[in-house]
Amino acid sequence: MTDESAFKPAAQPAPPEARTQAKADHREGMEHLETPLSRTVTLWIPLGIIMLVLLFPFYWMTLTAIKPDSELIDLKTTNPLWTWNPTFKHFYALLFETEYPTWLWNTMMVAIVSTILSIMASVGAAYAIVRLKYKGANYVGAAIFLAYLVPPSILFIPLSTIVTSYGLYDTPFALILTYPTILIPFSTWLLMGYFKTIPFELEECALIDGATRWQILTKIILPLAVPGLISAFIFCFTLCWNEYIYALVFIASPDNKTVPVAIVTSFTDGDVFRWGSIMAGALVGSLPLVVLYTFFVEHYVSAMTGAVKE
Amino acid sequence: MLPAAAFLLLFLAYPLGLGVYLSFTDARVGRAGSWVGLENYEFLAGKNPLWDFFAIISNEVVGTKYELTGDPVFWLSVFNTLLYTVVASALKFAIGLYLALLLNRHMPFKAIIRAVVLVPFIVPTVLSAIAFWWIFDTNFSILTWMLRSIGVLGEKEVINYLGDPLNARASVIFANVWRGVPFIAITLLAGLQTVSPSLYEAATIDGASRWQIFRYITYPLLTPIIAVVMTFSVLFTFTDFQLIWVLTRGGPFNSTHLMATLSYQSGILGGRLGDGAAISTAMIPFLLAAIMFSWFGLQRRKWQHGEGND
Amino acid sequence: MISRRSILQGATALGGLAVADLAGWTKAWAQSAMHKPEAGAKLQLLRWKRFVQSEEDAFLKLVAAYTKATGVAVEVLNESLDDVQPKASVAANVGSGPDMFWGLYSLPHLFPDKCLDVTDVCEAVGKKYGGWAKSAEVYGKSGGKWVALPVAYNANLINYRISAMKEAGFSEMPTDTDGFLALNQALKKIGKPGGMALGHASGDGNAWVHWLLWAFGGNLVDKDDKVIINSPETEAALEYGKKLFEAWIPGVASWNDAFNNKAFLAEEVWLTNNGVSIYAAANRNAAKGDAKAAKIAADMDHSFWPNGPVGEPTEFHIAYPLLGMKYSKYPNAIKSFMEFMMAVENYEPWLEGAVAYLSHPVKGGDDFAFWGKDPKLAPAKPAAFRTRTAGHDGSVGEKAAAALADFIVLDMVANACSGRESIKGAIRIAERQAKRLYR
Repeated sequence: MTDESAFKPAAQPAPPEARTQAKADHREGMEHLETPLSRTVTLWIPLGIIMLVLLFPFYWMTLTAIKPDSELIDLKTTNPLWTWNPTFKHFYALLFETEYPTWLWNTMMVAIVSTILSIMASVGAAYAIVRLKYKGANYVGAAIFLAYLVPPSILFIPLSTIVTSYGLYDTPFALILTYPTILIPFSTWLLMGYFKTIPFELEECALIDGATRWQILTKIILPLAVPGLISAFIFCFTLCWNEYIYALVFIASPDNKTVPVAIVTSFTDGDVFRWGSIMAGALVGSLPLVVLYTFFVEHYVSAMTGAVKE
Repeated sequence: MLPAAAFLLLFLAYPLGLGVYLSFTDARVGRAGSWVGLENYEFLAGKNPLWDFFAIISNEVVGTKYELTGDPVFWLSVFNTLLYTVVASALKFAIGLYLALLLNRHMPFKAIIRAVVLVPFIVPTVLSAIAFWWIFDTNFSILTWMLRSIGVLGEKEVINYLGDPLNARASVIFANVWRGVPFIAITLLAGLQTVSPSLYEAATIDGASRWQIFRYITYPLLTPIIAVVMTFSVLFTFTDFQLIWVLTRGGPFNSTHLMATLSYQSGILGGRLGDGAAISTAMIPFLLAAIMFSWFGLQRRKWQHGEGND
Repeated sequence: MISRRSILQGATALGGLAVADLAGWTKAWAQSAMHKPEAGAKLQLLRWKRFVQSEEDAFLKLVAAYTKATGVAVEVLNESLDDVQPKASVAANVGSGPDMFWGLYSLPHLFPDKCLDVTDVCEAVGKKYGGWAKSAEVYGKSGGKWVALPVAYNANLINYRISAMKEAGFSEMPTDTDGFLALNQALKKIGKPGGMALGHASGDGNAWVHWLLWAFGGNLVDKDDKVIINSPETEAALEYGKKLFEAWIPGVASWNDAFNNKAFLAEEVWLTNNGVSIYAAANRNAAKGDAKAAKIAADMDHSFWPNGPVGEPTEFHIAYPLLGMKYSKYPNAIKSFMEFMMAVENYEPWLEGAVAYLSHPVKGGDDFAFWGKDPKLAPAKPAAFRTRTAGHDGSVGEKAAAALADFIVLDMVANACSGRESIKGAIRIAERQAKRLYR
C-alpha cells in the first residue's frame, strides 16, 4: 500500500485523495498497544475463518481438477480432501483436445472491447451529468440508475430481435454490443463520483485559457481520473467474464463461445458431467482475472475510494 | 453522453418497453399475441394480491394452509425472492463490513490477502455454482464427509442440502453470500480508507472504546458508501439467475424459485412470453423500492457536502 | 464443426461400411435422391449434446459422408439438452439462426408454422421401413403435414442391480405396480434403496412421474384438451407415489438428470430410472480397468416399466424430432440431408453407434442386427412403440410442451410425495396451472 505510487504512471499528477490514502495505512496509531494474544483473537482467527470459508470451494475445484476420475465419487476408500495421484490430464485435454484457447480468446476479446466501449460511453455520460449544467441532468443520472432495474433474463427475447435484425447473431458483436447495457450504468455511476472529486477550479482556469470542453476532458479530467477508470475497467471486465445468459442465447457455434458457456456445454455429455474437466476449465478461465486483480487490487480499492468520497 | 444515451435507448429502453408491452399480451414464442390487458397479472397475482401476499408469508413462515387467489408458484417465488434478497444481503453486509474492518488493519502480506479475498468474485459464477452443486450433493457432499469424520453425523446419515426446502434455501443463500462478500468487503474497505486517521487519533486520546469508535466515527462516515454498495448488492441479489438455475432450477418443490428463474421458465422454456414478461415486470416495483432507499442515502450525502460542489 | 480427430476416432470405433464401398454408395445415392440441394448450400444443425461418444462419432461420420456425396457442408452445433429448446424458440421468434434443430418431445409443435414441411421425406421413410410408430406420427405431424422427422427415441428404463433384487427376494423385475412397490420396500429394508429424480429433471423426472400418473389411469387432459387431472385416478397414483418415495433414498427431491447416474455408479442407489447411459459409463470405466465399474456393469440390467391398473404400458420416452426451419435459404438441402440420414446404410450404423441410447421410430428398425448383440440393451428396442406422447390423449402442441416445461405433473408428484401439500392440495395446484395453459 505504501508503495502504491509505484503503480502509477509517473507523469500523471496524483489525485489529492491518493496522498491522504498513502498516509491512511499508518493510521493504526492505537494498534501498537495490542498484545500478540488479543491480536490473534481479534484479527487472525476471524480473518482465518473467513478466508478458509471463502477459499474452500476454490480448493475443492482445484482438487477436483487434478483428481483421477475414479477417486471422484469414492468417499470411502480415499480421503476426499486430498489426492496422492494428481493428474494433469484434465488440463491437458482442456488445452490440447478442445478449442479452449479459442474460447479464452473470445472471452478476452469480447470483455475487453465491450468494456472499452462502455467506459468511453460512460466517461461522456458521467462528465456531462456532473459538469455540464443543463436542465434535467439529474433526471438523466436517475434514468441511468434506473437502467439497473431491467433484469437481463427477460431482456433477451427483445434483444435477440435487435441482434438478429442487424445480422449479429452468433458473432462476437452480439455480445460486444449487448454487454454495455449491463456495464454502462455501473461505470457511469462510478465515474460520476470520481469526476466530482476533481476540483472545478482546474477546469475554470483551463476555460479561461481558451481550452475546449473536449480538451479539458482529455487533457485534465481523464489523466486525473485514471484510478477511477482502472476501477471501472476491472469491474466491467469481471462482469463480462461472468456473463452467461446472453452468451448462451446469442452464440451458437463453438468457435464463438465464451468460456463459461463453452465449458458447461462441452463437458456435459447428456446427463453425465465431466467434473474434472469442468473444474479445470473454471480454474484456467479464472486465471486472467486473478492476474488482473493481483496487480490492480490496490488500485481498485483506491479508485473506489475516490468514487465514493466525492 | 450521446453514445451512452443511444446505447441505453436501443439496447435497454426499447427492450424494456417491449418487455412491459409483452406482459399485457398473450404472446407465445413465435407468435405475436394479442392484447389481453391485465389478464396475465390477474392469473399470477390473483384477484386480491394483498391477501395473497400475506397469505403466502403466513403459509411459508408459520405453516398455515390458506388458499391463494393467484398462482401459488408465483407467490412462492415472490416470497423466495424477498427472503433470498433480505437474508443474503443482510449477511453479505454484516460479513462484508466485518471483513473490511479486519482488512483495514495493519498486517503483513496485506496486498496478497486482499487479492485472495476477491477470488470468489473472480471465478465465473456458473462454474463456481457447479462446484457448489457438487459440494451440496446429498450423497457425495464433502461437507457431509467432514461432518462424519469429526463425528457430528453418523456413518449413514446424510444432509439433504438441496432436497429439503429449508436446507435448499440456506444452501443457495450460502452460495450467494460466498460470492457476494468479497465485492462488498473490498468496496467498504475503500470507504474505510477515506476516514481521516486524525479522527481516530483524537478519539483514542479521548479514551473511546473500539466499539464507540466504530459506532460514532466509522459507521456514520461510511453510511454513503454503504447505501450505494447495498443498493447494488440488493439489485444483483434480487435479479440473481445463474446461481439458482445451476444449483436447483427452482426446486425442490419450487422453494428456491426466484422471480427471475420463474420468468425464464415460463417465458422461455414454457414459451409463454406474456407470463414471463409479466413476472419480470412485477419485479420492478420491488427494485424501485431498493433504488429509492439508496437514492435518499445519496441525497443526504449531498446536504452534508453542501450544494456547492455539485 | 467437424474436427479431424473425431472423424478418425469414429472411423476406428466403428466397423460399419468400408470406406471404398461407402464412397461408391454415396455417389449412387446422390444420383437417385428425391431432393437435390441448392447450389452452394450449406447447413447449420443444432442438436443436443451427445450422450455417448460413439454416437457423436458415428453422426459426424454420417455428416462427412453427406458432405462428400453432395458437396453441402453441414456444421453441427451442440447444446446441452435443456438449452436446445430456448435457442430454437428464439430462432423461430426472430426468423434467423441454424437451419435445422434437433430437439426434444414436441419441439416442432411449439411453432409448427415456422417448420419446414417435410411430408414427402417422412412418407418415403415410412414406406421404406414398413411404417412409423404411432407415437412418431403424433410427434412429427401437425395438421396432417409432417413438420419434423422423428429421428429417434431415448428409452427411459428401470435400471437395477441384479444382486440387490435377488437379495431383496425377487428373482425378476416385477411387471405390475404392486410388485414394484414391494421390491422397492424390500430394497430399503436390506439397505440398498432405489430412487428416482423429483427435482426439476426434464428427462428422468418427467419420465417417471408421467408413468406413475398414467399407470393409475390419471391424465392431465382428455382428448378434447379438457383438464381432468382432478380425479380419483390421480389420487390413487399419488398415494402410490408417496409409498414409493418413502421407500427411496433421501434427497431425490433435489436430483436432476445427472444425480442418479452418479449415485448408481457409487452404489448409493440400486434401482433408478434412466437411459442406458449408466450402463454405458460403467462399461467405459470398466474398459479403463476400473474393477468396481466392471462389477456394476456385470450386475446391472434394464427392464420395462411395470404396468399399473390400466393394464398397458404407460412409459414415457423422450422423442428426438429433427426439424428444418422455414426461414432457411436451403430447404431442399435440409430435406436431402434428412433423406440421406434415414437411408438404411447411414441410419443403421449411426444408431448402432448410439449403443441403444437411441431407438428407432420405424417398424423396420426391429430388424437391425445390432439389437441382438447385448440382451441387457434389448428393453430399449421397442421404446417408440411402448411410449405415450406428451399430453397423452390431448393435443401434442404448445400446451403439452408448456405443461412439461412448467413441470406441472412433476411438481404435483413432488408436492404430494414429500407431504408438502396434501394430495388434494397438490392436485388442485396442478389443476389450476393446467387450466391456465389449456384455456
